[in-house]
Amino acid sequence: MDRRTFLKTAGIGSIAAVYGCKTDYDKNIFSLVTAPEDFVTGQATWYASTCMECPAGCGVLAKNREGRVIKLEGNPVHPVNQGKLCIRGQAALQSVYDPDRLLMPQLKMGQTFKPISFDHAFGILKERMQAASEKGSNRVKLLTGITSVPLSALFTSTLEEFGASPAVMYEPYAHDGLRAAHKAVFSRHALPSFHMERSDFILGFGADFIETWLSPVEYIRKFKSMHSLKDGTKGMFVHVGPYMSLTAANADKFIPIAAGTEYMVALGLIRKILETRTIDHLPDPFLKELAALAAAYDAKFVERKTGFLAADQTLLAESLLASHSPLILGSTGATAADNSFALEMAVTLMNLLLDKDLSLYDFERRHALEKVMTAKETAAVFETAVTDPTDLFLFYNTNPLFTFPENTNLTEIFNRKDIFKVSFSNFMDETSQNADLVFPVQLSLETWDSYASNTSCISTLQPAMGRLTQSPSIGDVFLDLSGRDLSGRDRQFDDYYQYLADYLYTNLAEKSKVHFLQTIQRGGIFHSDSNTRTGRPPFDTLSIDTGSIQVLKKTIDSIHPPEKQGLTFLAVPSLRLYDGRGANKSWLNEIPDPVTSIAWETMVMVHPATLEAYGFAHGDILSIESNDKTIAAPVYSYQGVVSGLMVMQVGQGHNAYGRYAAGFGSSPIELLSGNDLLSGNLGTSDFLSYLITPSLVKLAGKVDALPQTDGSRSQYKRKIALSMIMGHHSQGGHGDASGQGGKEGGGLDMNQFPLTLPTEEGYDKKRDFYPAHAHEGYRWGMVVDLDKCVGCSSCVAACYAENNIGVSGKTQLTKGREMAWLRIERYQDQNSEDRLIFLPMMCQHCDNAPCESVCPVYAPHHSKEGLNNQVYNRCIGTRFCAQNCPYKVRKFNWFDWDLPKPLNLQLNPDVTARSKGVMEKCSFCVQRIKKAHNQAKNENRDIRDGEVMPACVQTCPAGALTFGNFLDKNSAVSVLARDPRAYQVLGYLNTKPAVIYLKKMVQAL
Amino acid sequence: MSQLTFETINTTVLNTLSRPGKVYWSIIALLFCGAALGASCWAYQIFVGVGVAGMNTPVHWGTYLINFVFWVGIAHSGTLISAILFLFRAGWRNPIARAAETMTVFAVCVAGLFPFIHLGRAWLVFYMLPLPNQRTLWPNFQSPLMFDVIAISTYLTVSSLFWYTGLVPDLAIIRDRSQGVRKKIFAVLSLGWSGKTGQWLNYSRAYMLFAGLATPLVISVHSVVSWDFALSVTPGWHTTIFAPYFVAGAIHSGLAMVLTLSIPLRKIFKLEALITMEVLEAIAKTIVFTGIIVGFSYATELFIAWYSRNSIEMETFWWRAFGHYAPEYWIMVVCNTVIPLLYLSKKIRTHVIPLFIISIFVNIGMWFERFVIIAGSVAHDFLPNAWGHYRPTWVEGGIMVGAFCVFFFLFLLFIKHLPSVSMTEMKEMIHKTE
Repeated sequence: MDRRTFLKTAGIGSIAAVYGCKTDYDKNIFSLVTAPEDFVTGQATWYASTCMECPAGCGVLAKNREGRVIKLEGNPVHPVNQGKLCIRGQAALQSVYDPDRLLMPQLKMGQTFKPISFDHAFGILKERMQAASEKGSNRVKLLTGITSVPLSALFTSTLEEFGASPAVMYEPYAHDGLRAAHKAVFSRHALPSFHMERSDFILGFGADFIETWLSPVEYIRKFKSMHSLKDGTKGMFVHVGPYMSLTAANADKFIPIAAGTEYMVALGLIRKILETRTIDHLPDPFLKELAALAAAYDAKFVERKTGFLAADQTLLAESLLASHSPLILGSTGATAADNSFALEMAVTLMNLLLDKDLSLYDFERRHALEKVMTAKETAAVFETAVTDPTDLFLFYNTNPLFTFPENTNLTEIFNRKDIFKVSFSNFMDETSQNADLVFPVQLSLETWDSYASNTSCISTLQPAMGRLTQSPSIGDVFLDLSGRDLSGRDRQFDDYYQYLADYLYTNLAEKSKVHFLQTIQRGGIFHSDSNTRTGRPPFDTLSIDTGSIQVLKKTIDSIHPPEKQGLTFLAVPSLRLYDGRGANKSWLNEIPDPVTSIAWETMVMVHPATLEAYGFAHGDILSIESNDKTIAAPVYSYQGVVSGLMVMQVGQGHNAYGRYAAGFGSSPIELLSGNDLLSGNLGTSDFLSYLITPSLVKLAGKVDALPQTDGSRSQYKRKIALSMIMGHHSQGGHGDASGQGGKEGGGLDMNQFPLTLPTEEGYDKKRDFYPAHAHEGYRWGMVVDLDKCVGCSSCVAACYAENNIGVSGKTQLTKGREMAWLRIERYQDQNSEDRLIFLPMMCQHCDNAPCESVCPVYAPHHSKEGLNNQVYNRCIGTRFCAQNCPYKVRKFNWFDWDLPKPLNLQLNPDVTARSKGVMEKCSFCVQRIKKAHNQAKNENRDIRDGEVMPACVQTCPAGALTFGNFLDKNSAVSVLARDPRAYQVLGYLNTKPAVIYLKKMVQAL
Repeated sequence: MSQLTFETINTTVLNTLSRPGKVYWSIIALLFCGAALGASCWAYQIFVGVGVAGMNTPVHWGTYLINFVFWVGIAHSGTLISAILFLFRAGWRNPIARAAETMTVFAVCVAGLFPFIHLGRAWLVFYMLPLPNQRTLWPNFQSPLMFDVIAISTYLTVSSLFWYTGLVPDLAIIRDRSQGVRKKIFAVLSLGWSGKTGQWLNYSRAYMLFAGLATPLVISVHSVVSWDFALSVTPGWHTTIFAPYFVAGAIHSGLAMVLTLSIPLRKIFKLEALITMEVLEAIAKTIVFTGIIVGFSYATELFIAWYSRNSIEMETFWWRAFGHYAPEYWIMVVCNTVIPLLYLSKKIRTHVIPLFIISIFVNIGMWFERFVIIAGSVAHDFLPNAWGHYRPTWVEGGIMVGAFCVFFFLFLLFIKHLPSVSMTEMKEMIHKTE
């Protein structure tokens, strides 16, 4: 080798060594090199759209940064949610980046799926449609989740071209009982909205409006506007039901009664009302017949059947009658067959008795859900698909194989080789897995559409980001199907956008392009006056006939008490996963259920006394058998369940759907039967029953450790989550151990300590060795009103989304390594152990922070504006700060958390993604504070009060969180901190937290 | 002791330095493997994350800091024997002073490893050094962990110098009696020691000085270690008794470790003539004394928790004794305070086997004391919602085994290559008795 060759080889070799062996390839910091004209790097663009995670249809603003949706927030001008979102809404954008999302259509070949091109899939679909229509009419069926008016019109017209009947809409929680009751009483199959905010006494019989009922965000807001302290009073909320749901936990009084007997309590109350009050707005025969029906339900009888003490019944009836504007709510969407229908009937009649104008019903603002099929109609669709010749069954946006109770016809549809099943789904869920063709279409955040959240508004959907997959929109697929040929001849619309625009134009008051664009920008067509409208009954009450009472009587007669004695089983909808559609979102699994503090697992909740009676214990695995199916799930000992009942949430237990869903928990739906709905079957009912008596319950093992995020639910008489009895709230201070009364303390006693604001006035020579911090212009802080917090956990989801918080997964969470910066702590009230208090706990940004002094490298750092900053780059991971934090809000990155692609595209570019070995915690969304600073500086002014909203504050549907500047004496937080209810958690430690809590106000019935 | 002459001392001690056999080297090899196991566990932890250990929220500190405190504690009684008892002219410490001081140096080295192992980002540990930099980032000297850095490094420096100073005349003896390479090495190590009066004068002054320096360090270093806990706000940690309590505990555990090391040492190398039963008995008596102090500290903690009427303190100590970590708590109480009382019996404390077994119990008890304090307090602190438990994992086990192996590896190398009994001090002793 000569010298030159040697140099050449060595040179090439070293270059190759430098460049060739990198494991980390060059990455673009920005996703777009040649950006569109209106694209400003670092500046977010917001697109108004609609959340499709449940039928409520809340308006969202999708935050787009550098071409990617990174956060959803409520649309402030949307009448349904008014800027707020629930936990599921906050997590909705995870479906866009779901790592298990299908990129290509999948065609079943034998037992496995083969990816095919979209053209190929469309070809197959079209060919099948044509073949079916050539064979005869009605050979194509389409089952869809709730959709927009234009899309279902398009479905209908397209199906018509192929000689098929219109698409049928199916939703698992369709409130069949409520709709049927309204049909019987008002002759309208309607789901009116309720003006809870105008009521002063709400009596619920299970309606879980904080979790899933009709429109949770809307009703949390309305509920809290009547049920939070205002001028020294607050409305009353009593919840009667078999278990303490999150909604029930927020009631002033929760009355546990035997499952399925709610209607008896309601009839007992009707009896009392008729006895005490003269009602002249209803015809006499009607009242007489009602009285005759209710006569059997005297207090003793009701007590015997339900377990609701006679004396308490009287008390409840008296309070109800004493209220000015009572509102009675029925059961959850998941019904207990005829029992629930009887309850809904009784509830509706009771509302009619108590309020002749039905002023709290709004029939002009009816929920979108009213247009979906009942479960009975859905079962009939399955039946016709089996009995009548069917060639093609299409499913869009629905997963009946998971959500619909076991139904022989549905199973038959999937067993038949001659029915070609197409699932328009982005996920390999249960329905897709059993289909012959899976056809991914654009998700709601990527597509143009509209949604009538209720009858007085049309929300719009628009693509909030570019396409991640090549999937077409479902509208385009159907337009293409309906076109005579693919070149567009004889087609009125090029694409679904035009189709939709045409529909929206017809609904616009002013038909101009500008107005159309404004509508899209605002997020829909809102008739916002509906809130001020006075209710009026949909008919003349004096002319009401006794037909509805006959219906009720017939229903009650058909209710047979369960033949078998023993444990009963109730499947309830889930706050986090709804009907199971949220199950593949890692945030929803990682955030624990606020009532049980259990994540990643479905628990069977049972009363401790019942557990003992049956020889089971908390943490045992029970095998529950019914309807020839068996599920196994761990037991959770919970005082909130009536004895003899097992309660289990729906949502988990998928055997497909994706990595976060499959294999976690179990599905109570498997135990239910959807066959009773079929005509001709014994025990036929019009309603599904989510309440069953299992044939066998036996011990099947024990779990080593539950994925539980809490330690103890007792407060051990510490000053943590305090409540106050109504009428005592003028007294300040932290009060005695129970939080009652008490005067301002001297400051050194554990039980008598004053509020120590994180500003100069919070310092006192007697207590403090070091002088106060000098803050420049701002001292950020938060006020948490425990009286308003309902524990819905949407703040937690918002925090995960905004701050790139890692998901630890079930194994690590079980070891206590969840990363939540903000958690909902659930404590028993020290005044009454039966009551729960939900306490959002985040970094308290103490002025006298224990974490700051112990770090050897100044990684926790007190900013000039009072923030307790965590400097990730500086952190070496001694973890002393977390050891010394009394609030245990500091979370350590034990690992580099798993973030499968493309979930990483959701990361907020304004927030550092932390690596292993670093401590992290709530920053009060410092990135939002910085943004407000820049804005204020550009405009040469100070930051306005309320201008900075951390993600949690922004989304809180109850308005329990307030953020602001404590140096400004007139700021909202300063005003609230002067409330006599104000206290600081563990205030006696003199850490001077910048999070001030306001005590929960409790009242007796 | 009267049969000892300068010559017998020399030969007895130098006999321990004879060419070691296969058994010795296989033990050394085994210990090296153990150390390598610990090192690979640590490497695994660095690569994957501290999560491979059992810590969690709320117990962010686990066996790494437990072992840290344990080893620092071991170190202390070495210094107690070599320096404090030297100043007190307690003659019985002379035969074991060298072994004890060696134990100190190696135990501090092992202890010093643990904070590094504990760190989430060990590779950035230099942030704790006050290095001048353009961003004027400075360590936080308010943090007890910075006190620790200073205290431990000072302690390591002083005890190494003290140890080496004491070694110099002995190294010269080896130099004089060996040939070849060995002679050359020891010539360098003995720093040109010739045994002149002037050298002896300087030597005894320096030895006295280092003994004087090391003595307050015993108190201060372990007080500083205790402040890692006492200066926090956590119930169970935030008490003023911690400094004396930790110092007493350190000496307690260290004395036990001295027994654990010296009993096999005198047996294997037939040093019974030098490390006599009187010496062991004296140690045993001291262990009874320190055990009573430690027991008193436990009682004081409980009393103060009750007397404070602070419900959080009361709950913490109640839970310590009867909660999740109750077994660990009672192991601690029994092993540290009850079992050492057996030494009150002359029969037990003058017999090698029970002496050895009880010393092992004290070692175990003192390890669990650190476990109860470190893991038990934060597991059950202010917010009941955040309560949780901690259980060590195999990685922590591997690192702990590795640490013991490193210690014994170094110690075994020492006893075959350097005089494990101070010939100089033994000679001084018989000189005085004569």
